[in-house]
Amino acid sequence: MSGKRKGPPPEDVTRRAEEGRTAEGRDVTPAVGRRGQAGGWVRTGEKVALAKERWGDARWSFLYDKDTRYASASANGSVAEAARRARGGGEVPVAVQGPMIHATLWTWEVPVYFFVGGLAAGSSLVSVACDQFGDHEGAELARKLALGAVLPAPLLLIADLGRPARFLNMLRIFKVRSPMSMGAWCLVAFSTTATGAVAADVLGFKRAGRAAGVATALLGSYLGSYTGALLAATATPLWARSRVLLAPIFVCTAAASGAGANRLLQRSGPTREALGHLELLAMGGKLILSPINDRHIGSLAEPLEHHRAYKLSNWAARIGVALRLLRRGGDVPSVLFLASALLTRIAWIEAGKQSAGDDEAVARMARR
Amino acid sequence: MEIAVQRPEAQRMGFFTDTTVCIGCKACEVACKQWNDLPADDLRASLSYDATRELSASTWRHVRFVETLRIPEPEPTLNFVEAALGAQLDRWVFMSDVCKHCTHAGCLDACPTGALIRTEFETVIVQSDVCNGCGYCVPSCPFGVIDRDPYDGRAAKCTLCYDRLEDGLEPACAKACPTDSIQFGPYEELVERAKGRVATLHERGLEGAYLYGAGDEPQDQLAGGLGAFFLLTEPPERYGLPAHADSPIQQNGPIANATGVAAAFVAAGLAFGAFAAAFRKAR
Repeated sequence: MSGKRKGPPPEDVTRRAEEGRTAEGRDVTPAVGRRGQAGGWVRTGEKVALAKERWGDARWSFLYDKDTRYASASANGSVAEAARRARGGGEVPVAVQGPMIHATLWTWEVPVYFFVGGLAAGSSLVSVACDQFGDHEGAELARKLALGAVLPAPLLLIADLGRPARFLNMLRIFKVRSPMSMGAWCLVAFSTTATGAVAADVLGFKRAGRAAGVATALLGSYLGSYTGALLAATATPLWARSRVLLAPIFVCTAAASGAGANRLLQRSGPTREALGHLELLAMGGKLILSPINDRHIGSLAEPLEHHRAYKLSNWAARIGVALRLLRRGGDVPSVLFLASALLTRIAWIEAGKQSAGDDEAVARMARR
Repeated sequence: MEIAVQRPEAQRMGFFTDTTVCIGCKACEVACKQWNDLPADDLRASLSYDATRELSASTWRHVRFVETLRIPEPEPTLNFVEAALGAQLDRWVFMSDVCKHCTHAGCLDACPTGALIRTEFETVIVQSDVCNGCGYCVPSCPFGVIDRDPYDGRAAKCTLCYDRLEDGLEPACAKACPTDSIQFGPYEELVERAKGRVATLHERGLEGAYLYGAGDEPQDQLAGGLGAFFLLTEPPERYGLPAHADSPIQQNGPIANATGVAAAFVAAGLAFGAFAAAFRKAR
C-alpha cells in the first residue's frame, strides 16, 4: 500500500518501552500527540488563561520595540537589491545543504494506472478510426478493450490513497487548475461513456454505440495526455523541466499500447495492418521525442537515462520497431511495445523520485 | 486570491523569521509539537547536531542547523589528535524553517479534494477531515514542506496556528521564541519592520543580510511573496531553500496540458492516416 507503513508508529514503540520506567513514580510521558490527532481540534469555548484577546499580546514582539536599535524606522531601497544579489546569478555559489524538496510517495499503483489509462485512451482512438473506415466489428472490439482496460484504473487509484475510504472526496470539487482533479473527473466521464458504448453495442443500438465511442475518444485525448502534465506540474526537476515533451511522450506510448493491444486481438484484415502502422508511428514518435527531451534537460535526465526500466523500455521499443520494419516477428513487436509503454511509466516515476532527492539538481534548477 | 473563509476584520498574518537572532534552542519546535498534538519523531543518528533534519507531517517547525566546516591547511604537527580532528566546526547559523504560506501555493493548486484551503488570514491549511491522502501536494511544494504521514495517511503541515489565530492569539512557536527570532503580526507591518531590520544590519556592516520571500520587485518574487519570510545572511541553498520558486502548476501546468492534448490530436491524425493507407491497399 503506497508508502503507508504498517504496525505501531515509532512514538508508540517508545512509549511502550518507557512504561514502568518512570522515575520515582513521576509521569514522564512526553506531552505530545499521536498520529492523526494533528489538526483535529475541537472548540470547547473555554478561555485560554492569561491570554489577551484580539491580538492583545500577539501583534508585536515585546523584545524589539521602537525604543530598541533592532530595526531602523525607514528602510532604503537596498532591500530588494540585497535579495537580488543573494538569489541572482546562474550558479549555485555554495554547497547545498539539503533536503530541498520532498519526492513523490507514489508506488507501483500509479505507473500501472498510467499504463492502463493510456491503453484505454489509445483503444478509444482506435475504435473511432475503425468506425470511420467501416470496420464496425473491429470498433466494437476496441471499445470493449477500452472498457476492460479502464475498469481496474479506479481500483489502482484508490489503493494508492493514504485514506482509501475517502476516495469519493476526489469528486467533492471540480478544480480546473489541478490536473489531479481534472484527471479524476475525466476518468469518471471516460468510464461512463465507455460503459455506455459497450452497453449500446451489446444491446444492438449501433449508432448510439458509435456516438458514445466518439465521446469516449474525445475524453481519451485528455485521459491519455494528462498523466504527463500531472507529473510536469510538480517541483520535481526531471518532470518539471520536461514540461513540453513529457505529455507528448506519454501520448505516444498510450497510442502505441492501445494499437498494440488491439492488434493482438485482431487476427487479420486491413485493420490489423493499420494498427501495425499506428503502433510503429507512435513508438517511433517516442523514440524520437525521448532523446530530444533528454538532451534538452541535460544532466537532469541522468536518473532517467541510468534507470534500468528506461533502458529496457527503449530496447523493447527499438527491437519492436526494427522487427516491424523488417516485417518479421508477427505479434512480438506488439507485445514489446506494450512492455515498453509500461516500463516507460515506471521509469519516469522512479527516476522522478531520485531527481527530487538530488539536492544539487533542485538547487540548480531554481537558479534559472 | 481564493479565500475560503470570510471574516470582515481579518487581514493577512505572517511570520518574519530573523535568523540573525536565532540561538538554535528549538523551543519553537517543542511548542509547535505540544500545541498541535504532533507525535514525536524517531531519533536519527547523523553527523549533524540537528536531529530533526527536515520538515515533515509530524514536524511543522524545524530549526535547521547550517553547519559550515573549516578545513585548515595541513601544517607540520606532532599532535596527531589535532591533525585527525583537522576539520573543525567553523560556525553555526540557525534558521527556524516553517511552511511559507505562499501567495501562489503549489500545494493549494494541486489539491484535488479541496482539503487545502486559504483562510481569512491568507494562510494555507489542510482540512484533515477532507484530505484523502492522494499525495499530489507533496511533490508540488517547491520548498519541500508538506508531507504525508506514513502511518496516518493524510497530508499535514503548519497551519500558522489557525485555531489560535481565530481567537486572536499568537502562534505557539512565535510565543515560545525566547529571542524573538520568530515574529508574528499583520503582514504589511511585518514586511516594513523586516526591511528596517535589513537596513540596520547593512548599516552595521552585515552586507550579506537580505529578506527571503518579501520586499522583492514583482518579477523577483518567490511564489508571489511568502506569508512566512526570512532574514538570511548566506545564499539560500545553505538553508536548503531554492533561489527561485513558484507554484509548479502555475508555471508548468498550462503548457504541459496544451502540448499533451495537441499530441493526442496529432496521434488521432496519424491513426486516421494509418487506417487510410491500409484500407486503400486492401481495396
